Amino acid sequence: MLILSKILKTKRKKRQDDNIRQKLDPNLPKDLPILRSSQDNIVRLKEELGKSSDVVIREFKGSNYQGALVFIDGLVDNKVIMDFLLEPLIDTKPLPERVDIFQYLKEHAVAAGSISTIENWNQIYDNLFSGNTVIFIDGYNKAISAETKGWEKRSISNPTTQLSIRGPQDAFTETLRTNTALIRRRIKSPNLWIETMKIGKVSQTDTAILYIKGIANEKIVEEVRKRLNRINIDELLESGYIEQLIEDQSWTTFPTTYHTERPDVVVSQLVEGRVAIVVDGSPFVITAPAIFIQFFQAPDDYYSRFDISTGIRLLRIIAFLIALIGPSTYIAATTFHQEMIPTTLVIAIAAQRENVPFPAFVEALIMEVTFEILREAGLRLPRTVGQAVSIVGALVIGQAAVQAGIVSPIMVIVVSITAIANFSTPVFAMAIAARLLRFVLMGLATILGFYGMMLGLMFMSIHLCSIRSFGVPYMMPLAPFNIRNQQDVFVRFPIWQFTNRPPFISKGNIARIGQNQKPGPPDPHDDRSKGEKS
Amino acid sequence: MRKGLIFVSSIVIMIPFLTACWNQKELTDLAFVMAMGVDKGKEKKFEVSFQIVNPGNVAPGQIGGGQGLPIAVYKSTGDTLTEAARAATKKVSRRLYYAHTNLVIISDDVAKKDLLLLLDAMDRDPEFRTTTELIIAKGKTRAEDLVSALTILDKLPVNKITKEIQSTEKMLGENMSINIDDFITNLISKGREPILNGYKVVGKIDKVNQAVNLKKTTTDAYLAADGLAVFKDGKLRGWINNNNARGVLWILNKVEGTGINLTWKDMKNAISIALIRSKTKVSAQFKGGKPMINVKIENEGWVSEVNTAIDLTNPKEIEKIESILMEETKKQILTSVKKAQKLKVDIFGFGEKIHLENPKRWKMLQKNWDEEFSKLQVNVEVESYIRREGIRTKPFWSEFSK
Repeated sequence: MLILSKILKTKRKKRQDDNIRQKLDPNLPKDLPILRSSQDNIVRLKEELGKSSDVVIREFKGSNYQGALVFIDGLVDNKVIMDFLLEPLIDTKPLPERVDIFQYLKEHAVAAGSISTIENWNQIYDNLFSGNTVIFIDGYNKAISAETKGWEKRSISNPTTQLSIRGPQDAFTETLRTNTALIRRRIKSPNLWIETMKIGKVSQTDTAILYIKGIANEKIVEEVRKRLNRINIDELLESGYIEQLIEDQSWTTFPTTYHTERPDVVVSQLVEGRVAIVVDGSPFVITAPAIFIQFFQAPDDYYSRFDISTGIRLLRIIAFLIALIGPSTYIAATTFHQEMIPTTLVIAIAAQRENVPFPAFVEALIMEVTFEILREAGLRLPRTVGQAVSIVGALVIGQAAVQAGIVSPIMVIVVSITAIANFSTPVFAMAIAARLLRFVLMGLATILGFYGMMLGLMFMSIHLCSIRSFGVPYMMPLAPFNIRNQQDVFVRFPIWQFTNRPPFISKGNIARIGQNQKPGPPDPHDDRSKGEKS
Repeated sequence: MRKGLIFVSSIVIMIPFLTACWNQKELTDLAFVMAMGVDKGKEKKFEVSFQIVNPGNVAPGQIGGGQGLPIAVYKSTGDTLTEAARAATKKVSRRLYYAHTNLVIISDDVAKKDLLLLLDAMDRDPEFRTTTELIIAKGKTRAEDLVSALTILDKLPVNKITKEIQSTEKMLGENMSINIDDFITNLISKGREPILNGYKVVGKIDKVNQAVNLKKTTTDAYLAADGLAVFKDGKLRGWINNNNARGVLWILNKVEGTGINLTWKDMKNAISIALIRSKTKVSAQFKGGKPMINVKIENEGWVSEVNTAIDLTNPKEIEKIESILMEETKKQILTSVKKAQKLKVDIFGFGEKIHLENPKRWKMLQKNWDEEFSKLQVNVEVESYIRREGIRTKPFWSEFSK
């Protein structure tokens, strides 16, 4: 007896040691087997889970078997457990003789949609925390896992960050499965492959890589896989974590991966050969590789006719430039190159600046910083005080500031146009790059005028040409320039001229549309139409 | 690596604090010189007046703006333009800024002697534009009077002059815009002499710079273009008055639109033609060893006024009007040519044409070109077309005089 208890004690101690190790280093693999006694399993579970209140352990007793049912409250659908698991299990009808109880129960008593057999301890946790119910049967060193997922989730709603006039109005949610379903529903092809992995030592977040087999470049898919496997962090709360961990270039203000909350955008990019990364808990899906011009392509571009969308896209690019160089142009022109401003305008500006005590740079800086503060405050503040801030904001950047003699009216115009222009970039990540570089250019314009601005812009272009996204040059297809891939750059060609997928993304399989896709009036020589008429 | 990064970034951070802001000039530290006038000085060679704009009084809707006078005029003297400009800084609180100077006015007496001494300064200065309009203050009017004049319609007096020249060139064809660059180009050309617009103050000269002048609808004094100044070897040689100026511009292919009165059956000024297009081609030719100039003009116009009974529905009548227009145009041009020949100054650039036609002969003619020019045979050929008759065919006269 003593010896036995001693052995048991040491065993328990060893188990506790394991537990402590687990707490110190959550990533430690514990390759423990499942114990035969369900009682022991429960004890071990309780120990390892620290008696967490949301872990529900229900012991049950059947005719000639007993066991325990474990699930996490809140992640499961209680009704499913009651009706389809617990009720058949506590049925007191005797089992047929000479059957494997485990096998019998698995086949006859557990009425869940998806069940599996678990044979080691680690899998128990995987299953429990994804909302499955684990059933221990006394006398077997394995367990049944039944799918009982049923947590509270947000339903699909409209996109909030990437709006479009025309086009689908659904957006991704925080649930991985919903998100992959949104994509799967749009690509009904067996070639859409979804690979899933868990990332995060502590959080164990489900992450899926999506690509279309045969279109996506295998090398890029492999590269994505490699980079994701390399990630070794505690938690993964948003796809933004991944973005920062798999970038080619960290020292840049420009985004080298694309993210969107619109399923239609993801689908169009998958079809072009890109790879999508969906993270559980984040409504933003990352796609890679990303190129510069992609951040100026809004989904609306493809839903309206090409002439209109070309015009609007050019407008967007101009707006980006305004957002980038607006204030610095003002500074350079008014402090260095007064000769460049038309006489009447320069006199008007001079008259306005007559009462302003600061040099143009300080004036511009005051206004730009004020605006940035307002914008940041507007983003963070509780909705109930939103009104107050917009009223105060209009006073600060407006007539009151002019009347107080702090800034000139023209500066108010410059700041406003810059701000509005900045909002017209479809992807926030790109807009924010312009927002940051604007201040750098303002400084350069103060020191060296247009010369300084040009230096800054040249450095920016060189930098843009030097960065890559998953090995694809960022400025493709502008630099290196390729005349045959310009269908979707500044001018959005008609859809029937989108003959190729971008070859720098999807290598090999690039034929996109069939022959003679150009629409037109009915062909009078066409036999069929003749036949229909008669 | 880390050390290097800190080193580089500290240098970059220091740049804004360590620079002296190369060439930076805040708007509020500048005095915009809109016009510059050069008169003959008493002690020093030149007396230069600078018209400086007072931005607060020009820009609309400004706080406290629009009350005072739009301009202020400062004067300084010097033997060179640079000396005078530098001396002016003693009187002006701000840095004189010339990039927006639109007008340079030279007085009559400076133009007669020392105009050439002014040109290089304006041509060389990087701030000063060579597209600046150059004019001559005619007769008794001093350049200073024109610089300090106040005008009613245009807040900036300088605009009044430059815009007026441009609109006259388009609508009347008696003045043409001539900037410093054009002047210098014509000056150095062997077969062409430069001309400039003349300007004067009409009315009481002493009132032209007073705000009182602006309080009346009919001002006591105003600025008006008056003739073309003709230069020879960079010195003012004489004037071509308003009546003959159009002929000069015609040959220079500068007339776009103008109005011409025609005589119809002994009735003077019976018809007015408004020209809408005019094109001139000048070519040189040698006949019997003698140079000859052919001026070919094509003009188109519409009947803007008929003060007698003419049946404009009849194409033959229109043809008649056309031929009268031809004669009239030809007459006006020939008078201008004669006038220039009298002054012995080739303002039309006929010499250039002859040079192009026959460079060898031109070398011989060049030495004595002034004399040759005064005797040069000029043939004028005009083709006129009447395109429209306005929104009326037969004038009321045809019913009225029955």
